Amino acid sequence: MPKPVILCVDDEVVVLESLKIQLKQEFGDIYFYEMAESADEALEIIEELREDNIDILVIVSDWLMPGMKGDEFLIRVHDKYPGIIKVLLTGQADSEAIKRAQHQANLHRCLYKPWNAKELIETIKSGLA
Amino acid sequence: MKKPVIVCVDDERTVLSSLQTELMDALADEYLIETAEGGEDALALFEELLEDNYEIPLIISDCMMLGMPGDELLKRIHALSPKTFKILLTGQTNTEAVVNALNHANLYRHISKPWETSDLVLTVSEAIKTYFKDQLLDEQNKALKKVNATLSQTLDNLKATQQELIQSEKMATLGQLIAGVAHEINTPLGAIQSSVENIATFLNQTLEHLPTFFKEICLEHQQDFFALLKKSIQHETFLSSKEKRQLRKTMVRQLDEHRVEDATMIADTLVEMGICDNIEAFLPLLKAPKSQTILNTAYQLASLQKSTQTIMAASERAAKVVFALKSFARYDSSGEKVPTNLIEGIETVLTLYHNQLKHGIEIIKNYAQLPPVWGYPAELNQVWTNIIHNALQAMSYKGTLKIDVTEQDNHAIINITDSGIGIPDEIKQKIFEPFFTTKPTGEGCGLGLDIVKRIIDKHNGKITVESVVGKTTLTVYIPINPNEEKRHA
Repeated sequence: MPKPVILCVDDEVVVLESLKIQLKQEFGDIYFYEMAESADEALEIIEELREDNIDILVIVSDWLMPGMKGDEFLIRVHDKYPGIIKVLLTGQADSEAIKRAQHQANLHRCLYKPWNAKELIETIKSGLA
Repeated sequence: MKKPVIVCVDDERTVLSSLQTELMDALADEYLIETAEGGEDALALFEELLEDNYEIPLIISDCMMLGMPGDELLKRIHALSPKTFKILLTGQTNTEAVVNALNHANLYRHISKPWETSDLVLTVSEAIKTYFKDQLLDEQNKALKKVNATLSQTLDNLKATQQELIQSEKMATLGQLIAGVAHEINTPLGAIQSSVENIATFLNQTLEHLPTFFKEICLEHQQDFFALLKKSIQHETFLSSKEKRQLRKTMVRQLDEHRVEDATMIADTLVEMGICDNIEAFLPLLKAPKSQTILNTAYQLASLQKSTQTIMAASERAAKVVFALKSFARYDSSGEKVPTNLIEGIETVLTLYHNQLKHGIEIIKNYAQLPPVWGYPAELNQVWTNIIHNALQAMSYKGTLKIDVTEQDNHAIINITDSGIGIPDEIKQKIFEPFFTTKPTGEGCGLGLDIVKRIIDKHNGKITVESVVGKTTLTVYIPINPNEEKRHA
């Protein structure tokens, strides 16, 4: 039985690596963790996973990325998969973008970089509860 | 308004009264005619009149008087009221007195006794006219001086304002730069923070389990465990998330072939540890009942290694940004030109703009070998900053930025080309003018390229522009050795 997935999107590889370490440390084998370096890559992964009937529970996305920005990405995902819990993790707070994500993507939380692991884990847990 | 006063002095009453009568006949409508019978008397009268703020355009004095002679009186009057015109009435042999009055009292005329009335009136009228003309001239001069002072004050203010504007334009560019730099430093700081957290979590949660962990696994597995860890630590190649997914898929197939349970999870962990090939050696370990615990513990230790690597890389990156900032702001304390590496300056600016470049700007660099150029490094950095900033704005931060550095005829030639909207022909010549801007209010006051031009002028260089839609090139020429150039000229 394939494990449900938590997907992280950020153009900084070091951020993705930290996120993965933190998630694995906390949740271990309960979930599977996918990392994407851009919104486009993330959309590809989502389609692949859905074809294999694998559930995506949570998406943690950066906002300022080359190409598609975080809010637009989450809105796109929300149109197709409203059930996925969506979290923004951003270094630059664009209040308009956050508002859009709230209204059009049912944004669960917005975390600011640099973040701490406890905050991230609690955010995900509260989304999954 | 008080009438101006003409003072007549003579110790002979008859002379005095005929003087008075003649002048009153001609001038009484406009002037008061006062008389004094001697020098002392005249001086007292004069002081009184001055005290009462009378204009005294003229004094006519006899030369030969008892007590104070006329030339002496006029000398004293001159000290009291230099502007008053002085006329001396003389007998035949008063040459000495006339010269004395001329030299020390600025004597206007001397009239010989006996005089013709018409002559007297004409001379007096002429003197008065000149007096008022001088006075007018004086006032106009004063007014002009005042205007002049105001103008030069205004000029000073304008110069100060210009400096302030240049400064504020510099600050505006700097402000945008700093926002970028803040992000540029914040990212590695974030990476350091989360890495440190990961290490702390490991120390708090995993470390204490290690002794039990090693007691519970067999010697063979212990060896495998360390082999795994060694392989992970040796792995230094950087993998993208896509590459990792590919490797994982291949590995899942391999593991499935060998009937290893939970292949996806194991493959994921191994790839994260940087173990991507030759997994056959680890198959016995992976098939063991305790494989999950062993693998996870190895992963935790490996991520400890990864965290320290991240910290090192992030500190290096932050240090690079700080170094760029430092060289950007290098203060030319000497005020003299120093050998300057132009390419280093351009690279400094690119480092500081990294954040604004990485999202959609492709940079093509063609740098020729360039000897050091005599110049002001900080000011030249300002040149690259302003040009690159304009280029980025012209292409809305998406497109190609091409930087060519060449050397020709003892000049460094820097071409900065963007793929932006271009500059229409009709404004091409205006872009270097102060206050010319196409940007909306608040995004700059139009001094950016004016500053650039001033700095390049200071280096005896020049700047030209060529532009069509999609390709705008600013070319900067800087003489490499201006002294040598001067010698040849």
